[in-house]
Amino acid sequence: MDQLYLLATLAGTKVAVDAHEVEAVVRLADVSPVPGMAAHVAGLSALRSRVLTIIDVPALIRGTATSVEKRGYAIIADISGHSYGLVVDAVHDICQVADGGLPLRGQLDPAWTPYARAIVEHEEQPYLVVSLVSFIETGPLAQAA
Amino acid sequence: MRMDDLLQEFIAETQETLEALAGEVVAWEADPSDRDRLDAIFRFFHTVKGSCGFLNLPRFERLSHAAEDVLSDLRSGQRSPDPATVNAVLGVMDRIGELAEAVAIGAALPDENDDLLIGALSADAHSNSVPETDAVAAPAPEQRVRQGGAQAVPRTIRLPLSLIDQLMNGVSDMVLARNELSRQLRERSGDPELESAFERLSTCVADMRDAISKTRMQRVDRLFTAIPRMVRDLGRELGKRIDLTLEGGDVEMDREMVEMVVDPLTHIVRNSIDHGIETPERRRALGKPEVGMLKLEARQSGNQIVIEVSDDGQGIDTQRLVEKAVLAETLTRDAANRMSEAERLELIFHPGLSTAQQITAISGRGVGMDVVRANVERIGGVISLDNQPGRGLRIILRVPLTLTIIPGLIVRAGGLHFAMPRAAVVEILHDNNAMLRIAEVAGAKIATIRSVRHSMVDLEDVLGMEKLPQSGPRSIMVVRSGTGVPFAMGVAAVENHEELVIRPASPLIMASGVYAGMTLPDNGKPMLLLDAAGLANAADLPNVADDCAQRHIEEDEMNAAAVEMIPALRFEELSGERRLIQLSVIERVEDIDTASFGRSGSRAFVRLDGGLVPVVNGVHSFGAATVSALRIRDGAREACYPVAAVLDIIDMPLVPDMVAMHGVLSGVSVIEGEHLEVINPFALFAGLPGESVPEQARGRCVLADGDDGWTREILAPLLRQAGHEVVLGLPAGEPVDPLDVVLSSGPDLSQAAEILGCRVVHLRASPRPSGPQDGSIYRYDQDALMAAIAGVGR
Repeated sequence: MDQLYLLATLAGTKVAVDAHEVEAVVRLADVSPVPGMAAHVAGLSALRSRVLTIIDVPALIRGTATSVEKRGYAIIADISGHSYGLVVDAVHDICQVADGGLPLRGQLDPAWTPYARAIVEHEEQPYLVVSLVSFIETGPLAQAA
Repeated sequence: MRMDDLLQEFIAETQETLEALAGEVVAWEADPSDRDRLDAIFRFFHTVKGSCGFLNLPRFERLSHAAEDVLSDLRSGQRSPDPATVNAVLGVMDRIGELAEAVAIGAALPDENDDLLIGALSADAHSNSVPETDAVAAPAPEQRVRQGGAQAVPRTIRLPLSLIDQLMNGVSDMVLARNELSRQLRERSGDPELESAFERLSTCVADMRDAISKTRMQRVDRLFTAIPRMVRDLGRELGKRIDLTLEGGDVEMDREMVEMVVDPLTHIVRNSIDHGIETPERRRALGKPEVGMLKLEARQSGNQIVIEVSDDGQGIDTQRLVEKAVLAETLTRDAANRMSEAERLELIFHPGLSTAQQITAISGRGVGMDVVRANVERIGGVISLDNQPGRGLRIILRVPLTLTIIPGLIVRAGGLHFAMPRAAVVEILHDNNAMLRIAEVAGAKIATIRSVRHSMVDLEDVLGMEKLPQSGPRSIMVVRSGTGVPFAMGVAAVENHEELVIRPASPLIMASGVYAGMTLPDNGKPMLLLDAAGLANAADLPNVADDCAQRHIEEDEMNAAAVEMIPALRFEELSGERRLIQLSVIERVEDIDTASFGRSGSRAFVRLDGGLVPVVNGVHSFGAATVSALRIRDGAREACYPVAAVLDIIDMPLVPDMVAMHGVLSGVSVIEGEHLEVINPFALFAGLPGESVPEQARGRCVLADGDDGWTREILAPLLRQAGHEVVLGLPAGEPVDPLDVVLSSGPDLSQAAEILGCRVVHLRASPRPSGPQDGSIYRYDQDALMAAIAGVGR
């Protein structure tokens, strides 16, 4: 069955996110920092009356925080009752991918292994299928433990 | 509708009615002639019988049918409601409750003794002359319950909580959108029509927000429903006779809060019956009435719900508590001797101490008052005791109205703002305060405040932020967490205190352990709520307290010098907050007819003793015919301060425990564990309109043109209203007081007046002055006119 994916660039890598996981994409406004947290927790941001926890995904992958000017867009997702905004470099398109997920091939950068699930191809380009939940759950919990 | 839905509905309804009926049954037992209650119970069984026949629930049907028969005999007077019958009816109700529970969770239904219950009902039906069964052979303790009459059940519908939350979020969005719109409107030029339309919208949004928040509220009744039955059962078990009074069931609180309070409250009531109220024999020997008194009372006080449980039992024997503590080696004999009565009473909250001489099945199960206190404090509540050994105990629970709104302090550290629950802050000082000494040894900071040493941390250090340079002094908060000892925490500044709507933060943030939640203030910048206990943990502070008793000795010695206390009046604002005002500014307190209040422009006035007195809080319309008011005076000026209630007179520290100048408030003082805002009398009087001060020493207003229509009909009333004494026409043959002010439109007269030695205010009819030398005032320029009169008068 054809599935909708959001295609984006994340930490310099082309990724695809299952559209079911995505609630919206917004341009990031003010982010209030949360001190005492791991580097990838960029802070809190208000989206109307909701408060988003902003996750600096590139920091999670590369280990260095994205500078404020470079934080362009955030993917809004509702994960187990809380709203998160995940920082991405750029958002390209939402489209249907004919073949669905393909198994991972080649040697994947270890930084990506906790998050990558499969590959999809769009216009003959491979995109890494990532799950947003994994950015919230694997990252912090592994570090908190 | 599917069968499943019908079944769910039936179960939910049955459970709800059962809960509501529990109190009614006991009340009915106490007064069998109460026809209303008997009817209510009969209706319940009748409804159950009707519905379960349709739903094919034969066991429900048999039970309710049997009970209905008996109740119908009672109704027709063929039978009297003796204790055995009531027990049997209660037994059937309990069974129906169990069955409903089992059906709800889909469990198997134990089927052994329905027949026994039905037998108990019908056996009695045929044997009025047979003596009571063994089960109630003991003298049936008397039970009386007073409740505010049988309550008419309001019409309700059932809604999923998620829908209400969704509505709540929608309204919050609306409020934010309104705030944004209001900001934009302010920036653009004012169109009065647009503004009034916006005002209307604004009011609607505010009303709606209030209404939606009310959907989360629940009557305290719900908290009380299980109490009468419990008291009855416990009383029987222990052979005690208890007269239970429930008051204030119509007070409303957040439904989640109700859930949180049930357990502590149940425990307190159990304790009262088990350990507090004595057996009838013992009470008789002590000269008390045989029937013990137990009273539960709920009321709203500001944004808190106060629940009081009082009994007339034996109270807490503090001597025995001390003995136990010494035996358990949690206290040295020496320290015990130094303890005040209040501190001894505090021991009841220590784990493992109880005055009960023997552990009973009722409350001696290892769950003590320490757990009760922990549970109450976890939801931001406070528990306090009023112990009268031998005469009774009153336990006062104060819990916030909702879980989500708490009073908080806004603090600044490292350039960011954080919220701190106000209840956790004991004291706030500037670091240049003479009572405070900060020492550092090997990186550890120690703050000594009035000779008590506290571990000290800076918030920036705990959170790993940079300490920004600042010109003013830093603030030191003494923070008390629910569990640990108080510690001192330094922040850049304490900026404000306000009511905060707290929402949970994401697990990611909560995992850090130093945050308790977050809040979104009106400026749209999210802010985190600090967790006092978490901060202490994160900073890894040692958990040792200074010797408490030692401190008190020292404190007593230096008390006179350290904290100067002044008498203050504790009162409740019309808006519900409890506040303090220093007694010295209050002239008297009286009930004023609300018809005397009125408004002029944006200011409120009240007519008192023939003059107009400004109303400080600007209130001018009231619900009732009279209102309590404080008449306050700063020596010369008088003002009226309408309040909801005057509570009592207490001593408050001259300088509030927490200084935070904010409007008419000077800060917050903690009196008997209650945080009270302190009114700043200076700000109060500074905010008063200047011209309406009739007491100022000044002369009359002499209106030279006494024959002129405008002067007589317009100017004179205006001046009189502003509190001036008015004389029409120059007084003939009477000396003119130098303090008098002459108002004149004609140049001739004014010259004459000037010769007499008093000052003159010239008035002119045209808005523009006739030339640069013209010192006159346009006669409709009220502000300038009043200023001229006042200025001249001085």
